[in-house]
Amino acid sequence: MKLIDRMTRIDRRIIYFILALVVILPLVFPTVLKVKPMAPVEALYEAVDKIPADKALILDCSYAPQIKPEVEPMAVAVLRHAFARRKKVLVLVLYVQMLGLAQKALTQVTGEFNVKAETYEDSIIYGRDYVFLGWTPPPLIPMLGMGESITAVYPADYYGNQTDTLELMQQIRNYNNVGILVCLSGSAIPKSWVAYAQNRFGVAVGVGCTAVSGADFYPYYQTGQFTGLMVGMKGAAEYEELVEENLKVAEKRMASEAMLSLTYAHVIIMIFIIIGNIGFFFQRRRK
Amino acid sequence: MNISTDPWVWIAAILSLAIFSFLYKENPFYRIAEHIFLGVANGYLVTFYWHNILVPVLFRPLFAGRLILILSFTIGILYFTRFIPRISWLVRIPIGIYIGYYTGAYIPAVIQASIIKQIQGTTLTGANFASWHAGSWGILWSVIVLIGVLCTLSYFYFSREHKGVLGVTAKIGIVFVMIGFGAAFGYTVMARVSLLIGKFQFLLGDWLGIIH
Repeated sequence: MKLIDRMTRIDRRIIYFILALVVILPLVFPTVLKVKPMAPVEALYEAVDKIPADKALILDCSYAPQIKPEVEPMAVAVLRHAFARRKKVLVLVLYVQMLGLAQKALTQVTGEFNVKAETYEDSIIYGRDYVFLGWTPPPLIPMLGMGESITAVYPADYYGNQTDTLELMQQIRNYNNVGILVCLSGSAIPKSWVAYAQNRFGVAVGVGCTAVSGADFYPYYQTGQFTGLMVGMKGAAEYEELVEENLKVAEKRMASEAMLSLTYAHVIIMIFIIIGNIGFFFQRRRK
Repeated sequence: MNISTDPWVWIAAILSLAIFSFLYKENPFYRIAEHIFLGVANGYLVTFYWHNILVPVLFRPLFAGRLILILSFTIGILYFTRFIPRISWLVRIPIGIYIGYYTGAYIPAVIQASIIKQIQGTTLTGANFASWHAGSWGILWSVIVLIGVLCTLSYFYFSREHKGVLGVTAKIGIVFVMIGFGAAFGYTVMARVSLLIGKFQFLLGDWLGIIH
């Protein structure tokens, strides 16, 4: 078989093997690749940073296990940012399967802060600094209902507490007391937040989405419907970079540690695309 | 190296490797893992919905005296009439209610959020120029977006043959469509590689303890 023919017929298992190697090696010998935050991520960071003291951040962790590697680092980074700046945080999910992942991210980040806290004031306290509202079906109900009253939509939180007895919920009653709603999702849920919560109540919506959704969501950022946007693992790494650089929160950065693997994998895929196309081009010329 | 002693981590790791084995070729390990996944996913969903929706939202309040929920229960149960051919037409009632509810709730909101606002985003206004955060280059980007939208729309206009002016705009439109597909493909590759990295982080970190 000639070289040209070989170029178009590389065994897919060779490609998988090389891809696995370039992904694994940077993970085993880690180097955090410094990423430059892009404007949409900076805009989201700024919006969270500038939430007034009397308003809260709503974090919608509507991501399922299959997109966890891309979106969970975003949830962790946004929570670290919010807690480091002592923002009030309400966490919710729109589908029941996502409860476990949201709770995991919350437990991890509150644990990171509380292990370093020296006083009660320094600690991140449930009910005072954050509330996990949990889930209520169908998604349209919280989207519209929280414009009137959050405690009416969520009479009890995830842990079964009456929400109207929680200190934080005395101050945060509806969207008027919300600085920004950040939706982390791999589906069209962010568009629904815009359609219902933003159009009707004027809530600022920030988004963290999978890379697959990125191309669909950029027009919403350009029109200002999304205040900021994180796309895929790279978006998460950019947010992690901003959090560490500005707030000196030095914790494990899952997305940043994966950037080198992601970069090498892209280079390898591009090389194989070029090889395949060169082979195809010469084969066609020969015919 | 600090290998996990958690049996659940081992099960997850072995099943992950079994799924990966498909990359070499179809094999019984892959099929076993696939069947386990389907069974577990279905069982998990059924029990989750039972414990988190049906019991707390329907049955518990119903037995506590909220009799109005009989109506919801009856409408919901009509979905199962599909299995009884003689009365299968009754399934149209819950489907009709569902479609009616979501159509009414969705159409006005989507027209405002995804059509009117997006059209506004393509107009050549100072606000749109500024939205690019690119100084005077914002004008250029806005003009490119406007040309792209108009030419792409003209490509999808099939009531006239693509000749003359329409032919030119349609050809420009297809260039924009291809760039869009390229961007979407690139992002899809990034998404899939990210998921692969996530899985390797689990295998090398949580399971084998090689990375921390």
